[in-house]
Amino acid sequence: MVNLNTVEPRNGRDYYIALGLEGSANKLGVGVIKHPRLASMSGGDNSHNCEVEILSNIRDTYVTPPGEGFLPRDTARHHRNWVIRIIKQALEKAQIMDPRLDIDVICFTRGPGMGAPLHSVAIAARTCSLMWEVPLVGVNHCVGHIEMGREITKAKNPVVLYVSGGNTQVIAYSENRYRIFGETLDVAIGNCLDRFARTLKIPNAPSPGYNIEQLAKNCKNKDKLIELPYTVKGMDLSMSGILAYIDSLAKDLFRGNKKNKLIFDRETGEPKITVEDLCYSLQENLFAMLVEITERAMAHVNASQVLIVGGVGSNTRLQEMMGQMCKDRANGRVHATDERFCIDNGVMIAQAGLLQYRMGDYVKDLSETVVTQKFRTDEVYVSWRE
Amino acid sequence: MKSPSALYNSPDITEKSFSVKESESRYRTTNGKTTGPSTYVLNAGQVDIDKPSDPKIDHVTQQPTALSKLRMELTGIQDDINEFLTERMEVAKNKKLKTQNSLEEKRIENEINELLDGGDGDNDDEEEKKEAHAK
Repeated sequence: MVNLNTVEPRNGRDYYIALGLEGSANKLGVGVIKHPRLASMSGGDNSHNCEVEILSNIRDTYVTPPGEGFLPRDTARHHRNWVIRIIKQALEKAQIMDPRLDIDVICFTRGPGMGAPLHSVAIAARTCSLMWEVPLVGVNHCVGHIEMGREITKAKNPVVLYVSGGNTQVIAYSENRYRIFGETLDVAIGNCLDRFARTLKIPNAPSPGYNIEQLAKNCKNKDKLIELPYTVKGMDLSMSGILAYIDSLAKDLFRGNKKNKLIFDRETGEPKITVEDLCYSLQENLFAMLVEITERAMAHVNASQVLIVGGVGSNTRLQEMMGQMCKDRANGRVHATDERFCIDNGVMIAQAGLLQYRMGDYVKDLSETVVTQKFRTDEVYVSWRE
Repeated sequence: MKSPSALYNSPDITEKSFSVKESESRYRTTNGKTTGPSTYVLNAGQVDIDKPSDPKIDHVTQQPTALSKLRMELTGIQDDINEFLTERMEVAKNKKLKTQNSLEEKRIENEINELLDGGDGDNDDEEEKKEAHAK
């Protein structure tokens, strides 16, 4: 029996407050959430319906010049230099007057992610914990995405498609673990899109994936896809070859390599395709692969709902394609959130961390707060679900 | 408030301590010498908007607040540590290079000696060993 009221709220309150800190990649997020202490939470599987109230959700992104990715050292510096200011803003917005009294738990991303940025944020979390005498919880970033998605959409037991810059996984819950049914064998989908954006030298603000989505929307030849490799391998997929191929097409287009007959007309020498066409075809190809493995996972576990989480999950075309697949299945439904919750944020870390804390699982010694770059979704024991 | 300090130990160094030298300017700024953006991103056209905030000045005393003073002193100590560790990395790199070079020199010298002793340049010992192993 799951009892989410195992730990009493501090100072005799009838609600819990959690501060969440996220910094596993180039987004630095700080969020404050509130869970009422409900009697219904003492038994049963209600972790998707905590009646969460989001008190603040502040995010600052480290943005690099067009054509450049983000390096660990500079990303960590960004987080280090902004984290206090962002925490102050988040507390102020949430009207937390005295963190010593008002906060039940501080949750931070323990992994997976880039080592140096994770480390910067973990130090901030430890400092706040010692200063305010508030317990800490280390959170798996992927589980944070899943729990936030479940809470926002109220999807009880969906198949989860987790698509971001660092991860591409199809996940289903079974016996206290989020089991990975399929995943990328090489680069993540967000990384594939970001790296193509670098080749195109399009801006990294607000995000390279968003700018590719906008270019794809402007494609005028939507009925004529550029043929790209389609690399689904059982439940897994591979994207590095597709990236290398489309990169070579884009480079030939920019260089004006007229020997490439796929791009330039044999007779007139005029380009047959545009950057928008490339973006559209890349998206269609990659998203079709994702839809295929997600549908297969749904068939395996006999599920009718899909929850899309992660930064790429805010892509409306992916949501639309997944929706079409779900429509063809009995009672099929796709759940997705907007960019506030899809893209890395502090609130999702607070949500997963608070669930863990309410089950009595929090850091007893600071040695447990060491961050880790490799932290698979299925390593986490999900005590807050039946 | 007590100034911060740091202590470094390793098998080849018994103890190296880092402490604040109040007279030096590096302990009176939040902008460190070694904690800026990397040269790579600056060359790529990055505009540095992620600088640490300036120290907060107390209105009454017109001096930096206690926490700002601590931040400035830590910035200086961080610079000291970074410079020290970079230097050690350079030394370690040179040592490795020297060892590699001396191993290569030794191998060439052995080969020359073998040739001078009437060898044919092939390593017979190794071939014999391989043959024995195959049998």
